[in-house]
Order: sequence, then structure tokens, then C-alpha cells
Amino acid sequence: MKRILFLAFSAVILFSSCTKTTEVVGEFDGKATVSFDSKVGTADFALATDFTVGTKTYNFSRLRYWISKVSLVDSKGVEYAVPNSYYLLEEVGNITLSDLSDPITYPARKREDVIISDIPVGDYKTIKFSVGVDSKYNDNMSLQAGELSQYSGMTNVSWMWLTSYIFTNLQGTVKEGTTTKTFKAETGLNTNYKTVTLDLPTAVRISTAKSTSIKLNVDVTKILDGVDLITTPTIGASQATVMATLANNYATKAFTVTSAQ
Amino acid sequence: MNIIERYCFIILIGVTLISCKKSDITTIQEPQAVSLEVPVNFPAYTDDLNNPLTREGIELGRLLFYDKRLSGNNQISCASCHKQSLSFSDGIALNNIGVSGNVLHRNAPALVNMAWAKNGLFWDGGSTNLESQALGPLTSVDEMHQDLYQLVNELKAVENYVVRFKSAFKSDISDATIMKALAQFQRTIVSSSSRYDKYKRGETGGNLTDSELQGLILVQQKCQSCHKGDLFTDNEYHNNGLDDDFSNNSLEGIYQGRYRVTFNTADLGKFKTPTLRNVMLTAPYMHDGRFTTVQQVLDHYSNGIKVSPSLAPSLNPFGIPAIPLSSTDKANIIAFLKTLTDSSFINNPKLSKPQ
Repeated sequence: MKRILFLAFSAVILFSSCTKTTEVVGEFDGKATVSFDSKVGTADFALATDFTVGTKTYNFSRLRYWISKVSLVDSKGVEYAVPNSYYLLEEVGNITLSDLSDPITYPARKREDVIISDIPVGDYKTIKFSVGVDSKYNDNMSLQAGELSQYSGMTNVSWMWLTSYIFTNLQGTVKEGTTTKTFKAETGLNTNYKTVTLDLPTAVRISTAKSTSIKLNVDVTKILDGVDLITTPTIGASQATVMATLANNYATKAFTVTSAQ
Repeated sequence: MNIIERYCFIILIGVTLISCKKSDITTIQEPQAVSLEVPVNFPAYTDDLNNPLTREGIELGRLLFYDKRLSGNNQISCASCHKQSLSFSDGIALNNIGVSGNVLHRNAPALVNMAWAKNGLFWDGGSTNLESQALGPLTSVDEMHQDLYQLVNELKAVENYVVRFKSAFKSDISDATIMKALAQFQRTIVSSSSRYDKYKRGETGGNLTDSELQGLILVQQKCQSCHKGDLFTDNEYHNNGLDDDFSNNSLEGIYQGRYRVTFNTADLGKFKTPTLRNVMLTAPYMHDGRFTTVQQVLDHYSNGIKVSPSLAPSLNPFGIPAIPLSSTDKANIIAFLKTLTDSSFINNPKLSKPQ
């Protein structure tokens, strides 16, 4: 019997030496779902649907953007940086990734939710994230983290002489009066890597006790604020000024918090 | 201990060990680290911590460099435009051997001492490192036009590659490891055994004639503000007065030099300084291959420089846009430049197509 006790005891020691010590207060590291809900003004964003904004009618075919370096700040000001947080948010139909004889298709996808696990227990009041890919990864495409990939068609092909990621991509057609243009509005380049800081309406507790949901509103009309796609239907590295406007719109206007609970 | 206890104990120890150790049961041998041999007359080299040189990585990169599977039509490899015999250049001003058959807009640059080329790649520096750089020619429609998915699938079908990627990177074949392997091989492309090097290091065979020595002095005085040190390049970007009108912004700014990357008007018409090493093998010259001989290049610097606001100050020293050079000077410079040809480099079996 003594021996069995000894074994049991040593088992406890051996096991506890392997596991992290966790404060047992009934709450553990929690999970949060961050939703990037795309909108056109107040209407829900959709592909192949006409949206009239002012004098222009848009019909979108793609909305894609990298979200990176997500962090949560608690009410004491302590910041939790989510490791490997590189996510491709998008709403796209099938994309042909090459024009070779045997083309490869990126399947249609609507992705608005990012699930973040292992968040230390706390009351969080602010969410931070960046739009695009930070220079470490943008400058060296052989380094990979999170969902970063060259296969998703979000690297520069038309401006491949700058070997880097496309940060954001919005495509479709725009009609004004009798003029219709097919547009492609992209951002990229390290100077256009921007951080967004959003305060939550009230601090939200994240722990195993409940599931947490942070809903963000992504307004496409704000992305295009001050950008005339009839006169500039192609925005890429060669349209540096308009691209900067677009990037600033993502950084300062497009994202707002709807709710956090 | 009775038998049950003994079993309990063994199981307990077993479970504990498994839970503590990473369950990495298959032991893959570590790739063998390689440190680049740095010639004494060269600047120090620091290895890339994200992609350290290994014997397996270099050897794999060399296989890939010469493998035509890397192009969409499986007809060209990196070596098609970067031939060892020409110091890894192609001898053509603007070639059209890419998958589309279109004439390119840039001269294929020579690959020499790439391990020290840490200030951007391509003529305008659009790529920050050799790893990312590979994606440019690989995917460009007018160059190798390769689909990355297809490339990975094609390579996975070759057992030799599956094994080699495992041993070099302990991972499956991916675009990232393809880029890393190619970069590792290219960092071993070192040219440091020219007659000039032997002269500089006081080695046997390092004799320079009077004319060559005169040329060396002239190069030091008149060329080395850009073609610096024993790498014979500062790896910087300069407007060397080839053109003075950069208003043509077509083809995503291809005629505007480094401006297309930085959007800084001070960078209009600037291109990367190429090394003078093996320069006699790398004709034609300039980013668009407009000069067919070194004589023409020297004539440009002595009396062809066009002035524009971004012109390199060293080419316009006293308000006169020229490097004054007599015909004897030019002959001596050419004599010296010939001493930078490195025959052991262009014949180095470690850099040539694997048998």
C-alpha cells in the first residue's frame, strides 16, 4: 500500500513538473471570435449585386485583405499580442490563379470570422490589428506565419518586381451615368502598412466562463471615400498617391466596432 | 515491488517521458552547417539567420537552379539566363526566351558575390532578399511563368526532391523552401580568384603589367565611388546619366529606375551598380544592355553623360558632366578590367550543372 501511495505521489510530482502551473480560480485562458462584417453603407456586402452610392453604382467581385498582428489590451493597459496572427479575410468567387493550360482555381469563399484562442483571462477594452503584412514578412516571402501564403493570389503579380504581398484588394465594376469601368483597387508596400486601434463599447471579459464575440463593421463605402474609380479604375503600386488614400481609409475609416459581449 | 506495481511504474515512467518529450520519434539528421569561405580581401559576411547555409540546402538550390521544371513550359531554368560561362549573365541585351516569348525590358544581371548583395535585388531594388527575389522571375509571364502550385506538385513527384527537401529543411516541398534553397545556392556564387585578387593578396600568379597597374589606379580614382572596394560595387543605386527624361511612366515605371520602388523623385533614373568583376564576360552593359562593349561604356562616362536633377554628383564634379579619360586611360582601364576575369569561377564545378 505504501508503495502504491509512493507511486501515486511520484506520479503527481512527475506530471506537475510537465504542466504549466495555472491559478485555479475556475477561469482559464479564453477564446474570442472577431467578426469582420462587411457592409456597403448599411446594407450587407454581397458579390455580384448592385449597390448605389451617391452617383455611382458598384458591383463587386472581390473583397480581400490581410489582417495581421492582432492584439487585445485589457483594462489595466496590458497588451496581449496574438501569436502568428495573420488572417486573410475575404469574400470571393472562384479565382483562377494562373492562365496556364491547366489552371488552378482558388475556390469561392466568404470568410469574416477570426477565432482567437488562448487569450489570458482578463477584461479587455481595446482591440488592435493591422491591415496588410508587416515588413518582416512582406520583405521576405520565404518566412511564413499564420495564414500567409503565396498560393492565395494575394502576392503581387502585376507589380511582381516588388516581391511582396498585396495588402488589400477590392474588385468589380463601377457605373456612373453611361460610363462603366472595371476596377481593381489594391494596396501594398511597407509604407501603407497601417495599424487600427478600436476601443470596445465596454470592457469585455474573456475567459473559459463564456464565449466572447467582438463584432466589427467593415464599410466598403468608407474604403472608397475620396477615391474616384471612374477616373482611377486601377490602383496599384504605380498609383502611389491614390493607393495611400485607400490605405488611410482602411486605417482610419473602414473599421468600427458594432458590439463586444 | 510486485509485478503489478512494477508494470504500473514502467507505464508511469513511459507516460511521463512521452508527455514531457516532443513526440518527434522519427529522427531526421540535422543539415550540415556551412560557413561561407570569405576571401581575405572581401568584407565580412553574415549568414542569414532565417535561412542559414547548409550543405544540403546549397546542393538542393543548385539542382533547382538548373532544373527546367521551374518554368511553366519546362523549357527554361534559372541558368538559361544566368549562364556560368558568362558569369551568370546571358550575353543578350534584352532576351525573349521567356515563356511568353516577349522581349524583356531588363538585361539579365550577372550573379556574382550575391552573399554580399544585401541592399535590394533587381536593377531597381524591388526585392529585399534573394528568397523573395526568386518569385519575380519564377512567376513573371514573360520569364518563367510558373504556377507555384504546379511547381510544388511537379517537384513532389520526384523522389529525389522529396528526400532532399526533407534533409535540407526537415519539411515537405513548399514555395518557401524552394525560395530558401535557391537563395542558399546563389549565396555560394563567389568570384574571388581573378588575377587582380592574387595581386591584391600577394599570391603566386598575381602579377599585373604596367598598363594594368595604371588601369587599377584610374579605376580607384575615377570609378570606385560607385564600383567600390574589392566587391567593385557599392550595391547602391545611381543615375549614371544614361537618360535625362524620365517622364515615360508606362509599364509600371520601368523607365524610371528606382523611382518605381521608392516614389522618391531623387531616385529617378537610378539603377543598381553592377560589379566590375568578370565585366569582360557580361556584355552587353547597363540595365537595358544598350552598350555592347566596355569601350562604349567608357566613352559614355567621358563624353556621353546626360544631366538631370538626380544625376550622381560624382559624374558631374565641376559642373562638367564627364569623367575625363584619355584614350590611353581607357586602354589601361580595359587592360585592368581584364584582370578581374575569374576563370576558376566560371569553371568551378561546384557552381555548374549537377551531373
